[in-house]
Amino acid sequence: MKDKDKDARPLEGERSEGNRKGVSRRRVMQTATAVGLSGTALGGLMKAVPQAKAAGFDPMKYKGTELNMLLVPEGEDKVMVDLMPQFEAETGMKLNITAPAVGPLIEKTLQNLKADKSGFEIINYLGFLTTQQVGGGYFTQLNDLISNADETPPDWDFDDFIPGAVKNVGYFDLKNKGRGQGKDLYGIPGMHSGSVIYFYRKDLFDAAGLKPAKTWDEFRETAKKLHSDKVAGCSFIGKNDFSLAFVEWYTRFITNGGVLMSGDPNGTNFKPNVNSPEGILALQLMIDCLPYAPKNVTQYAYTENVDGFSTGKIAQMIFWSTIAGPVFDKSKSLVADKTGTAAVPAAAGQKPSAIQGGWGLGIPKNVDPAKKMAAWRALTWLTSKKVNKYEVEKYQIDASRQSTFKDPDLLKQFPYLTDSAAAIANASTLPTSNIPETFPLNDIMNVEFSNALLGQQDAKTACANVQTQWEAVLRKGGHLI
Amino acid sequence: MNIASVAARRSVVIGGLNHRGVAVLLLLGPCLLYLAAFAIYPLIYSLKLSLTDLQAAEAHGRWIGLRNYGDLLRDPFFWNATRNSAIMVTASVTIQVVLGVAMALFFNLHLRGSALVRGILVLPMLISPTIVGVMWRSLLNPDWGLVTWVIQQLGFDQPAWLTSVSTTMFILVLIDSWQWTPFVFIIVYARIQALPHEVVEAAQIDGASRYDVFRHVTLPLLMPAIAFAAVFRAVDAFRSFDLIFGLTYGSPGRGTVTLAFFAFQNGFHFQNYGYAAAVSYMMLIILMIGMTVLLRYFGLRARHAQ
Repeated sequence: MKDKDKDARPLEGERSEGNRKGVSRRRVMQTATAVGLSGTALGGLMKAVPQAKAAGFDPMKYKGTELNMLLVPEGEDKVMVDLMPQFEAETGMKLNITAPAVGPLIEKTLQNLKADKSGFEIINYLGFLTTQQVGGGYFTQLNDLISNADETPPDWDFDDFIPGAVKNVGYFDLKNKGRGQGKDLYGIPGMHSGSVIYFYRKDLFDAAGLKPAKTWDEFRETAKKLHSDKVAGCSFIGKNDFSLAFVEWYTRFITNGGVLMSGDPNGTNFKPNVNSPEGILALQLMIDCLPYAPKNVTQYAYTENVDGFSTGKIAQMIFWSTIAGPVFDKSKSLVADKTGTAAVPAAAGQKPSAIQGGWGLGIPKNVDPAKKMAAWRALTWLTSKKVNKYEVEKYQIDASRQSTFKDPDLLKQFPYLTDSAAAIANASTLPTSNIPETFPLNDIMNVEFSNALLGQQDAKTACANVQTQWEAVLRKGGHLI
Repeated sequence: MNIASVAARRSVVIGGLNHRGVAVLLLLGPCLLYLAAFAIYPLIYSLKLSLTDLQAAEAHGRWIGLRNYGDLLRDPFFWNATRNSAIMVTASVTIQVVLGVAMALFFNLHLRGSALVRGILVLPMLISPTIVGVMWRSLLNPDWGLVTWVIQQLGFDQPAWLTSVSTTMFILVLIDSWQWTPFVFIIVYARIQALPHEVVEAAQIDGASRYDVFRHVTLPLLMPAIAFAAVFRAVDAFRSFDLIFGLTYGSPGRGTVTLAFFAFQNGFHFQNYGYAAAVSYMMLIILMIGMTVLLRYFGLRARHAQ
C-alpha cells in the first residue's frame, strides 16, 4: 500500500490542485472531442489488449535491477535527468540512459537488435522505422504483459494512449507485414508523439486585420501582405532535409487531396503518385511562397526556422508541433506571448492533416530474460500519465496520452495543445514508411525539390524526376513490377 | 667443437620452434594479431558484405555476387559523388600545395615575429573537421553569421554561400584549404630547414638568379617533401566526410556528396549495408589507382630533378 501511494505522488514541478481552477470547460471539450474522434475509429483495435485488473502489483518487485535504455534526445533526455531520482525511489531500479543523435541512435538500435544479446533492455525507435525494426521481428510482444495484473500498474491505462500513435508504433502483423494491423502489440507510444500545426504571429495578424489562413491560397496572400524587410511573410524548410519532403510538401499534397502511394506495400503494385496534379501543385505552392520567405530559405532546416520564428523574423509557418517548447518558452523566444496556433491550411473540401510523427518504446526480444519483466516495469513508469504530463508541462514535448491533452492545468498554460491534439488525431501515417526504403525515397524527394526551390528546375520536372527515381527504387526493392 | 654442435647446443627447441622462432613470435605476434583483428578481418568482412544485399531489418544478407558493383556503375548518384570527390581532391590539393610551399619559402626569410605567426597558422589543424564544419556553417549563417554580417556592413548583398552548387563546393574547398594548408607548410618548411646550403651557394657563385636557384635547386630538393604532403593530403581529401557532415550535409541537392559521404548515406542513413560496403571498395580501388599514378608522377619528377 505504501508503495502504491508513492507511485501516485505528483512529480517534481507539477502544479497544485488549487491552480487547476478556472479552466475553460469548452476548451476541455474541444480537446476531448478532437482526440476522441480517432479513438472511436481505432476502438476495436484497442480492445485487443485486455487491461490489467487485480491488485497484485508491486512496484518494487525488481528492486536492485540495473537496466539500460536507448533514448531519443529530443527533450526526453532532460526529462530523465530530472526524474531519475524519482524513478529510482519508486522502482528501486537503476536506469542508465544513452541518448545519441537520431542517426547514431538508429545505428545502435539495429546493432543491438541483431546481436545475440541486446545491451539495452528498453529501446526508443522512430515511428517511420516501425516496419523496419518491429516488422523485423526483433521486439517482445507486449499483450501478455499488459494484461498481467502483477506486472502492470493498475492506473497505467493502455486505452489512454493516442490511438493513431498506437497504430503508428504499436500494432504489427508480422505474418502479413502489416503495420498498425492485427492484435499483436510490440511497442508503446513514447516518449513523444506529434504532428504538424500552423504557427502564426497573433500581433502581426491582428494589426493587419488578418485571420489564420484556412487555405493555401490564403496562406500565400497572407504572406504577401505581411512580408517586410524585417519580417518574412512565411517560412518553410527549404533545405535538403527530411522535413522538406515529408512535412512541407506532404502536408500541402494531402491537404490538396493527394494520395501518395497506390497499391499494396507488400505486393508488387506499390506505385507512387508524386507527379500527379496534386503533387505538382503542392511543390508549386512552396515555390510561389519563395518571394515572401526569408531570403535564404533554401538553407533553412529545422533550427533555422525555429530560430527565425522565435526571434520574430517569421510571420507564419507550418511546423512540427514539438517546436512549441522553444517557441512558447519566454526565456528563449521573443514571441512567446505573440504566437498563435491553428490547424494547417487545406484546400476547400479537404481535411487539415499532416504527417504522423512520434516514437515507440519497446523491449528487444534478445534481452537478458531475467531483466525482461524489470524492463516492462520501467517502461510502464516511463509511459505513465504523470511522466507524460511532466514532459509537456516542463518541456512542451508532444504528448502520447489523450489524458495529457485533456489536462485542464496544461490546457490553461498551453493553449496550443488543443491544436496539437487535433493534429495528432487527424494525422496521416506516411505510406512509404510501410516499406524499408523510406529514407532513400525521402532523400530523392528532398534533393529534387530543393533543386526546384533553388530555381534549377520547375515543379513539374522535379515531380517527374522524383516519380522516375522512386519507381526505380521500388522496382529494385521488389515492391513494383 | 664444431659450429654445428654449438648451434645445436644453443638452440633450445620448444614445440618445434627454437629460441629465435619464439622471440620472433613474441615480438611480432601482438602486432600481427592486431593487424589481423583490426585491418585484415574488417577488410575481408566488408568485402563479403559488399557481395550481399544486407539491409537494416535482416540479420544476414543474401549472396548476390557482383550485383552491387554493377548497380553502382549504373548509379548516377555514384558518378556524381565520384565527380565531387575528384573536384575536392584536385582543387584542395593544388591550393594547399601551392600555398603551403609559398608559405614555407616566405617563413624561411625568418622575418621578425614569424615564429609567433607560424604558431597561430597551424591552429586550424588542431580542430576536429566536424567542428570546423559547424563553426563555418555558423560564421556563414545567412541570418546571423559573422562573415555575412561583415560583408553586409561593407555594403555588399547578402551572399548565398551555401545555396548554389558551385559556390558551396568552392567554399568547401576553401575551408579545407584553410584547415590543411598549414600541414603542407610544416612538412615543406621542415625540409627547407634541412636543405644543404652548399648547393644553393654553389649555384649562386655560378651566377644563377634567385628564380633559377628556386626552380633548379630548391624546388627539386623539396620535391620528396612536397610529394609526401600532396599524397597524404590527396588521400585525406578523397576521404572527406567530417567537414561535409558538419558544413553542408551533402547539399545543395547532391552538390557536395563525396564518395565517403555517399557510403555513409547508404550505410548509416539508408541502412543499405551491402551497397555501402561496395561503395567503400570502389573507393579503395580508385584510391589505389590514384595513388599509384601520383606516386609514379612524383617519382618521375624526383628522378628527373636528380
